[in-house]
Amino acid sequence: MKEFKHIIKDKNGLHARPAGMLASVARTFESEIRVEAKGKEADGKRLLSLMSLGAKCGTELHFKIEGNDEDVAVKALIEHCDTKLNGE
Amino acid sequence: MTKSVRFDGIGITNGKVSGKIKIFRSYEGKNKGACVGSIEDEKQRLELARKSAIKETKALEEKALKVLGEKEAQIFEIHGMLLEDEDFLDAVYSEIDKGKSAQEAVTLTAKSYGEMLKALDDEYLSARCADINDIASQLIRFLTGDVDENEENDTEPYILVASDLTPSETVKLEASKILGFVTFGGTPSSHTAILARAMGIPALVGTGTIGEIYEGKYALLNAERGELIINPTKEQKSEFEKEQSAYNKIAKEHEMYLRSVMKKPAVTRSGHKIMIYANIGSDSEVASAISNGAEGIGLLRSEFLYLSRDKYPSEEELFSVYRDIAIKMQGKRVIIRTLDIGADKQIPYFSLPKEENPALGYRAIRICLDRQELFKTQLRAILRASAYGRVSVMLPMIISLEEIKEAKKLLDECMTELSTRGEGYDSKIELGIMIETPSSAIMSDTLAREVDFFSVGTNDLTQYTLAVDRQNPKVTHLCESNIEPIMRLIKMASEAIHHQGGWIGVCGEMAADLSLTQKFVDIGVDELSVSVPYLLGVRGKVSECK
Repeated sequence: MKEFKHIIKDKNGLHARPAGMLASVARTFESEIRVEAKGKEADGKRLLSLMSLGAKCGTELHFKIEGNDEDVAVKALIEHCDTKLNGE
Repeated sequence: MTKSVRFDGIGITNGKVSGKIKIFRSYEGKNKGACVGSIEDEKQRLELARKSAIKETKALEEKALKVLGEKEAQIFEIHGMLLEDEDFLDAVYSEIDKGKSAQEAVTLTAKSYGEMLKALDDEYLSARCADINDIASQLIRFLTGDVDENEENDTEPYILVASDLTPSETVKLEASKILGFVTFGGTPSSHTAILARAMGIPALVGTGTIGEIYEGKYALLNAERGELIINPTKEQKSEFEKEQSAYNKIAKEHEMYLRSVMKKPAVTRSGHKIMIYANIGSDSEVASAISNGAEGIGLLRSEFLYLSRDKYPSEEELFSVYRDIAIKMQGKRVIIRTLDIGADKQIPYFSLPKEENPALGYRAIRICLDRQELFKTQLRAILRASAYGRVSVMLPMIISLEEIKEAKKLLDECMTELSTRGEGYDSKIELGIMIETPSSAIMSDTLAREVDFFSVGTNDLTQYTLAVDRQNPKVTHLCESNIEPIMRLIKMASEAIHHQGGWIGVCGEMAADLSLTQKFVDIGVDELSVSVPYLLGVRGKVSECK
């Protein structure tokens, strides 16, 4: 299993659009992708599930990735978080 | 005779219209009494409706992309994802398993997700209920085989009254049929309000519920007064018509004046062209600047994005506003003055220490060169916006060559950072400085080698040159009687910058003083930048100059 943490910098939190983008990246992988925040857990491939976390600016997301392509997946997700989840 | 009823709300755009009311029904209340088939039938119906909804959403996305732009179109991309969301579907299926009809199942699921999002106590996510309701109403429409009754072929234009409008509802509306908008809820920043502004039609938000009994009734919508009068009395109607015709007359006169002046090019009688630019303090002034003939934005006071908030704006926030302004100006110059705070302009979260003599203290470029990350965030946002139009950077309160060099170094660093990130920008972005200290005017021959343009801030230049506090009524008269020293400094700067092939503008209050226009032309000023209400007057005056 691979893990990493990311703190949300977008002032609107993990709202529909970034959550949607995150889910579409996650869906390209076979591995199971779980996202934990504030004691709740979401399926990283599902939009509503991610939105339900209610993650706001400053919330720490804890990603747990498990499966055959976890190495590639973790890299892609870190890159996505760093480039796409740190602004609007 | 029916009684006249008045609803008060917040007027969004100006204007007065009268016409019949059309109440817009959203999906709630349409889904009752539907018959329930077998569980398998219902699931199959849902699947068919979902496929149609996905198809429609794709079509809407394309339409929105054309009509409203990329940002609005993204909403439909989200809708597409919601329609495919497994959690949402699982929830709907489980309601069907409990014996609910497909429509009921969709309604219940949308409601429970809506409540869940609202419970998150996050304004942004709560607002996303609209998206969930939107796809729910779409599904129900396909499930009931309802032709969209909101799309019926009315021939008569109407005043649209709605609880609130979802994005996909608004995009489907036929603009030419709508006289005005009224929404029960909503705020000046709600979707409907934004749309009304874009369409330039009167709108009223926050009226509270308006019952269906008023459907088709004649009403007066007065956005200035923030009121909607249904079934008006004769007196109300005639008063309204009087106001309306007065309003239209003023609007018409203004437009004629505008046209007559707009036709005049800002060229002096000897054929010298003067650029007439606008000073604006927020993005909301761009449209009026354009309609008043601004040939560019000569001064964008970038402070507005930092005010009325409690923390620093992000690069993205700054960028999106700068970009939108650049796009709206369609290739015309947009000069963004970097943050000019301190002195009389204070922002709490900057936590600047109180000073004995703030006009001579820690302010403007001095803060920016000290708090470099703050400055670079702004520079990166400006640079990124430069990929969308003709954007220039202008530095305030410059006194020395070193300050320009330091700022240029930071600008270069920002360019490198953006290149690494793969962001586009104009690598030849124009850089200018404000001439608002005597030092910058005296040193203008040296400074001119480093920049593309000068813009004179006459307010500060006057106060620093004459040692006169503009806020002190006992001494302000000294400014009016001592124009000459200021003019000499401007002339000095003008010669210096022209020698280097650059140009000079004036963006302070003096630029709008028509008694000085000739003088500015004489000393070689190329651009006059004034607040929107003065644009036409200055343009007219220039055309009379020698």
